Amino acid sequence: MIKTVRMQLDVTKAWTERKFQWERQVTACHFSPCGNYLVAGGVDFALQRWDMESDERVSLEGHPSWVGDLAFHPDRQRLYSVDYHGGLFCWDYREAAPRLLWKKEDAHQGWARRVAVSPDGKLVATGGNDQVVCLWSDRGKKVAELAGHEGYIFSLLFHPGGKGLFSGDQRGVVREWKLPAGKEVRQLDLTVLHTRLENFLAHVGGVRSLAVDETGKMLACGGMTNAKSNAFCPGDPLVVLVDLATGEEKMRLTPSEKADGPVNGLQFLPGGILAGIGEGASGASLAFWKTDQEKPIHSIKMNSGYAVDLHPDGLRLAVSRFETNGRSGNGRHSTPETYTSNDGVVEIYHLHEKPAE
Amino acid sequence: MIRENPHACGSLQHDVSRRQALGALAGAAAGVGAGSLLSPLVAEQLKSQQKQVLLIWLDGGMSQLESWDPKPGTEFGGPFRSIPTTLPGVHVSELMPNTARQMQHLAVVRSMSTKDENHSSGVPRILRGDPKNRGVTYPYMGSAMAHLKGEADSELPNYIWVKPGSGGFIWQHAGFLGAKYGALALGDGKPPVYINRPPEIDDARDTARNDIRKQLNRRFRTGRREAEVEAYDYSFQMAEKLIRRKDLFSDFAPKQLERYGSHPLGRHILQSKRLIEAGVLFVQCHSYHWDTHGDNFNMHLDLVPQIDKPFAALVEDWHESGLLDNVLVLLMSEFGRTPKINQRLGRDHWPEAWSLCLAGCGMKRGLVLGETTPNGAWVDGTEYDIGHIFHTVFKAMDIDPLTIEYHNNDQPLPIAHDDCAVIKELLA
Repeated sequence: MIKTVRMQLDVTKAWTERKFQWERQVTACHFSPCGNYLVAGGVDFALQRWDMESDERVSLEGHPSWVGDLAFHPDRQRLYSVDYHGGLFCWDYREAAPRLLWKKEDAHQGWARRVAVSPDGKLVATGGNDQVVCLWSDRGKKVAELAGHEGYIFSLLFHPGGKGLFSGDQRGVVREWKLPAGKEVRQLDLTVLHTRLENFLAHVGGVRSLAVDETGKMLACGGMTNAKSNAFCPGDPLVVLVDLATGEEKMRLTPSEKADGPVNGLQFLPGGILAGIGEGASGASLAFWKTDQEKPIHSIKMNSGYAVDLHPDGLRLAVSRFETNGRSGNGRHSTPETYTSNDGVVEIYHLHEKPAE
Repeated sequence: MIRENPHACGSLQHDVSRRQALGALAGAAAGVGAGSLLSPLVAEQLKSQQKQVLLIWLDGGMSQLESWDPKPGTEFGGPFRSIPTTLPGVHVSELMPNTARQMQHLAVVRSMSTKDENHSSGVPRILRGDPKNRGVTYPYMGSAMAHLKGEADSELPNYIWVKPGSGGFIWQHAGFLGAKYGALALGDGKPPVYINRPPEIDDARDTARNDIRKQLNRRFRTGRREAEVEAYDYSFQMAEKLIRRKDLFSDFAPKQLERYGSHPLGRHILQSKRLIEAGVLFVQCHSYHWDTHGDNFNMHLDLVPQIDKPFAALVEDWHESGLLDNVLVLLMSEFGRTPKINQRLGRDHWPEAWSLCLAGCGMKRGLVLGETTPNGAWVDGTEYDIGHIFHTVFKAMDIDPLTIEYHNNDQPLPIAHDDCAVIKELLA
């Protein structure tokens, strides 16, 4: 096992150690707070848990539809996940065979897209297509419904200080809610991340990802701008930095590598560097930005990606991305026997210089 | 893409009348709100007159897995539920709750398997019925109907295309039949731009103007391709047929919009409904942007309800008025979408196994024909090509595809692919 302790974070030296591969695309991934597991879910009806030591994989089965998101409780015992039938599930993820503790099958009308757990572990927030943010106790009792969004809720994030919650929607609005009461504090205008041209049949874009820096003063909002159609949904990937003291836009960040989809995953790293991953029909990149420069200080070209998460050691980054399984695109290009789903990969990057063998 | 005629008259200045039906239409539009615009008397008369077709075209390709052929819980099935319909044991996507309530009137084919995976070649190929190559360009279904069933002296154009964007006279749809069987396209479903004749131009002056126009046309014809000149002539004639029919383009009642949807597809289906009820032989109603290579599931979440609501309302209204007995409604795209989900969480083009829907005019009601494999990727059993659908539609329109032929310079040509046949299971 490669030791990562006492390594100096240097994203320009990032290297990939291994990858976890699954037979469906995985659009959400998180390390457990103990750092021993990585759990991912997405275009599938189960979560996959990989042991970071042994690479052993275990499935957490039970969702009736695709998994929208997952979040760990800080007690290092529980894991929450939501699905596209509106369900909220709570698991004990530690055991050899992870166990479902409880579930709310109709937590939301329509898709439940996002779940987040407050830093103190007392609240669980979920958001979905019913345009409502629901606050739950950690045991699954609904404590509040936060209404006001006018589009699907695409992103959720508790402020690390524990006093606030951010929710981003399809129409490019981020609402900040004061906790525990759940009173709306303000709305942040991120409509640059939303496009609805006159000939569109649908809203395109939205606030797909959120992250707060370690000072708690800057919010990063990911998505895309200037969408050209509601069919291919191509646009220009964009991250908007917002000064939380003023609510004003501070900076716009764009990738160096060509891509045409939204920035789906954002993660602040120690030292204030922002990591982001986005989609692209012909590939995308894992980008690392300093928050005062539009272009990344380092990029790693890769397939279309969906999520990033930082290991508790602060030196490893999980990146979920697309992996083709046979030729994709129009038409069959294969026989019924060989026609199978594309794969999902979670790649583990070390954010430091590779030690000598 | 179909290139629109650059020479088509942009100043369509004329109007039409099918007085009885339209008088009733105008009255109904003012007073009825929901439901059919036809009085029972006029509906009965229209029923006895002729069979008609409304083709609703979702350009780009609606996903069969997010509509007619859901496979929830399977490898390619996507995140949506399926819901029961009025047909026992038959489910459709949860995105189609209104259509699910009208399934007893519909015939769904789940075993379409066609040849072309590209839009540019696939759209015309499907809309021309993909006949064998005989060295001629076959007509679109609408032009074929205008030729085979249309009345030369019809008071309304035989073939109208309601579409987003610009309008004009699209003679290319007619293929070898000649420009006069082309489509009169109503951009955004709106009437020709200059539909009102200025009041200072009386009938006498109008006749004089037209005489001059005809004289100029004769000079213009010299040295030009016949098709171009025909296109000019017929675009003008089509416009003439519409100029006195402003009532066909009056505002829709709020209750109608509530029932059909105020979005473009809802309005365009309402406009198409009006045109059919006024007696137009063939109306093609187009919606673009269904080509969801990116973000397929978020897009279908918003797109499918835009066809579900007006389509279900139309079927219900025409069933109640009895018009569905004589009007064939065909809802389709050029292909379906790949079961496999791509890197942008989209679905690509999939002609291998897809679905379409027919209703009315002698189609069996409450039928699902054919099936796909459990993963939805392939047809399980008999595959149907677009030629089968053309045979079946012609048959439903009382045009026998086995005995009736086109004649192109004395060359007999089958009207539908000779290796295909009527799908008898679809006919009542």
